[in-house]
Amino acid sequence: MSDESKSSTPQSPDAVLAVSRSTVPIWIIVLTLLLLFLGMVYFDHHGGWFNPQVYGPYASAEELELYQPKSGEAAILARGKARYDLVCGLCHGVDGLGKPGQAPPLAGSEWVDTKGIQRFVSIPLAGVGGQLSVKGQTWSLSMPAMGAAMSDADLADVLTYIHNSWGNKQGPVTADDVKAIRAKLGAHPQPFTGETLKALPE
Amino acid sequence: MKNGFPVFLASLLALGGSWCGFVLAPIVQLGGGQQTTILNSSDLYPLGRPGMANQGLQVYRANGCAACHTEQVQQSGVACDVVLTSAGKDPAGVTNLISSLNLNGLDKAAADGLVDKITAAGGKAEIHIIATGPDITRSWGRRHSVAEDFLYDDPVQLGSLRIGPDLADAGTRQPDANWQLVHLYAPQNVVKDSAMPPFRYLFRVRKINAAPSPDALVFSKGSGPPTGYEVVPTARAQELAAYLLSLHADVSLHDAPFTRPAAVSKP
Amino acid sequence: MNNMFAKRDSSEIDRSCCIPLLALFGGAALWLVFGSVLGLIASIKFHAPGFLANCAWLTYGRLQPAADDALLYGFCLPAGLGVALWVLARLSQTPLRGAIVPIVAANLWHLGVLVGLVAILIGDGTGFAWLEFPRGSSVPIFFAYLLLALWAMMVFARRHERTLYPSQWFLVAALFWFPWIYSTANLFLVAWPVRGVAQAVIGWWFANNLLLVWTALVGLGTAFYFLPKLTGCPLQSHYLALFAFWTFILFATWCGIPPGAPVPVWLPTLSAVAAAWLLVPLLVIAIVGLRTVWGSVKSSWDNGPFCFIGFGLDCFCLSGLMLVAMACPQISRWTDFTWFGPAETQLRLYGFFAMTMFGAVYYLLPRAVGMEFPFPKLVRAHFWLSLVGVALLVVPLAIGGVLQGLKLQNPDIAFADTTKAMLPFLRVSTLGLTAMLLGNLLFFVNIIGLTLRWKLALLKQFIAFVKSPLEPGSACASLRRDKEVRA
Repeated sequence: MSDESKSSTPQSPDAVLAVSRSTVPIWIIVLTLLLLFLGMVYFDHHGGWFNPQVYGPYASAEELELYQPKSGEAAILARGKARYDLVCGLCHGVDGLGKPGQAPPLAGSEWVDTKGIQRFVSIPLAGVGGQLSVKGQTWSLSMPAMGAAMSDADLADVLTYIHNSWGNKQGPVTADDVKAIRAKLGAHPQPFTGETLKALPE
Repeated sequence: MKNGFPVFLASLLALGGSWCGFVLAPIVQLGGGQQTTILNSSDLYPLGRPGMANQGLQVYRANGCAACHTEQVQQSGVACDVVLTSAGKDPAGVTNLISSLNLNGLDKAAADGLVDKITAAGGKAEIHIIATGPDITRSWGRRHSVAEDFLYDDPVQLGSLRIGPDLADAGTRQPDANWQLVHLYAPQNVVKDSAMPPFRYLFRVRKINAAPSPDALVFSKGSGPPTGYEVVPTARAQELAAYLLSLHADVSLHDAPFTRPAAVSKP
Repeated sequence: MNNMFAKRDSSEIDRSCCIPLLALFGGAALWLVFGSVLGLIASIKFHAPGFLANCAWLTYGRLQPAADDALLYGFCLPAGLGVALWVLARLSQTPLRGAIVPIVAANLWHLGVLVGLVAILIGDGTGFAWLEFPRGSSVPIFFAYLLLALWAMMVFARRHERTLYPSQWFLVAALFWFPWIYSTANLFLVAWPVRGVAQAVIGWWFANNLLLVWTALVGLGTAFYFLPKLTGCPLQSHYLALFAFWTFILFATWCGIPPGAPVPVWLPTLSAVAAAWLLVPLLVIAIVGLRTVWGSVKSSWDNGPFCFIGFGLDCFCLSGLMLVAMACPQISRWTDFTWFGPAETQLRLYGFFAMTMFGAVYYLLPRAVGMEFPFPKLVRAHFWLSLVGVALLVVPLAIGGVLQGLKLQNPDIAFADTTKAMLPFLRVSTLGLTAMLLGNLLFFVNIIGLTLRWKLALLKQFIAFVKSPLEPGSACASLRRDKEVRA
């Protein structure tokens, strides 16, 4: 076969078979490469990048996330978590356990995990400065009024999320609650200290 | 390729590659499958089929039901319905606003925009996620089938041909055990024009002696055995019916999301 | 050096394979007929659902897999192994040694198929498509294959012509393929089943590698050997065939996960992409086939084996295109879960693979046995019956499948109507199955006739040997010849 002259009698039953040596046309190679490229692009767009959670008709984890149903309480908690992680989580931690030397824990804190919401809502609206005892530990704080710029509804979502996460089990905070307390505090309230905070009703 | 070794190498490369992709990777990714929680709830899914239904799966396998039936709901798309939950302080304004708008079958961006508009007008609205596709319109299931649906099945009976309807949600569609048994015994009795063969060998027809058997099939008038006789399912028939009743595809999961009907509250 | 091998008597090589081939093909022909009878009964159930319904053995869900497995494991695999054995021996210019092992293996194989088919019919199938045979059957089948493949590899390893002809790549790869996929599938699905839908993925991987890759490797290897031989034209060309081999095994192994399967989307997407890439080897194979036989088609049309193999190659390309269409998500919505899929499988298994094997067997078996078929005229009748049968089976099912898919996609049409609309097509396909059964019977008659003729000749030889004990010379010669045949 390696030698073309051998293939002169192809019909003799046991002669080695004839085979032509012409090469693969270049257009077939080009077509192959083109198909390979297009296939990879297609997989990139529709393959969900090996994510075990992504099934058809969804094409990516982002798309799947977009279509998670969020209504009622679940929606509030989901919105609250998103904002909390962005605004509060930096210091208080996304796990609500706080960060030593920076911010006290929110999980199980006596200022947070309470039935009354006066103090709980006031803190983000006005901020806290100076000494504050949290869970038997004294913190020296300078928390700005992180919630002052948020809308009532957004702050309510965040506070509801904090009230119902990491073991905290309290009722929801509504936008109307936030609105009322914001009105009570006035336009530019002074940051609370330990004493002024304690003076507030729970 | 001058000699045998490259042939061996080529085969090893090609087959080994696909072995890693389609045997090893699925075992790693899906074979260790674990329960998950139902969306917006703390209930675990799946809980496993009851014992009799598990034996029923073996009856399903032995009689090759998967030759004619699939157990995989197809979903071709997803849509959002905007549902007004509260008209707020200006009901007339909000009603006016939404009366001119299409609230159903939107994509996510359009639905978000609509909710913002309604919120701006003082109302409140929710977005409901609806899985779409011909199977779902036929109420063969509420969303596409996912790995979790088959976690405890051995063998997994997905099927590949729909000579009969899809059964992924059979238990939701026909929760009546007697209906399932009568259908197995004489399909044309309950579904006119059914192409399904009768499975009479899973039943015993016998003379009623003292009292009729409590398991005997209840037929509608004009069908069933002659008077004085009753049709009693064998254990295999009962197991098969239990298996069919255990088939559900109506649970909302993270990888197959939809808004559950319980949450629907039209204003 | 070349001259030395050119002089080597090819009939010696052919005759060395005689008994293993008779054992493989005889059983295969039997299972072929048996499978078509089962398939025909299953098909009649669409005319009357109650037909034979009270017998658990003959319920549709058992008959259909049994018919499919009888075709695949009963006919396709042993026939493919036999043809591969002979082609490898011929191309290697090496006679088969130790023929007793392949003979035992062939019988072990057919025993395994018998056990498996009975198991399916009594309800002991595993429930995985194309892997229904339970352990008692898959173990003998696996070891029988190993032995046959080992003997074929030994012939290949002892070859006198070191440079490989393209058919050898295809056939040697196929020998290697089956033990890997069959052991993987049986270990992960039957022996120690994995959990959940990973089972389904492995099942699809196995079925694809057996039904698409293995059959293509053996069928194309056979076609690339016989087409040049039968037409007298050289294979066009070595490099195109090499290119087809590489691209085919690299892409085809990734096909098989149906679109819309309840598995993470990357699996079906990968399969869809691989199926699109498969267009390249399909095109190249079509070019190789066309260029090789171009100009000699008319003159070769009288040649029985050429008709079978040429038709087989056409069916391969057509079924490949159907496979690509079914994997494409834009088209698959009209073919998913419809009869289009079985139509494609039947076209590949019967139209391509079985037809190619028929052609090869009709060519090689008379040479291996050293006798003509008893009814050579039936070969053409078999060809036409099979061709008409495949056409009447595949065309209605494919067209009906698309119509069924269109109806399934429209939820306003009641499901019962989709089934009802399919019935006329299924009834035509029953005719196709009948034609195929008749064709298979002709094949069976020729194979069994040849086997009987060969046995009769042996008997005559033996009687002559017994009758002439007093003539030492002739008796010894006869005995020696007898031994040679057996070896």
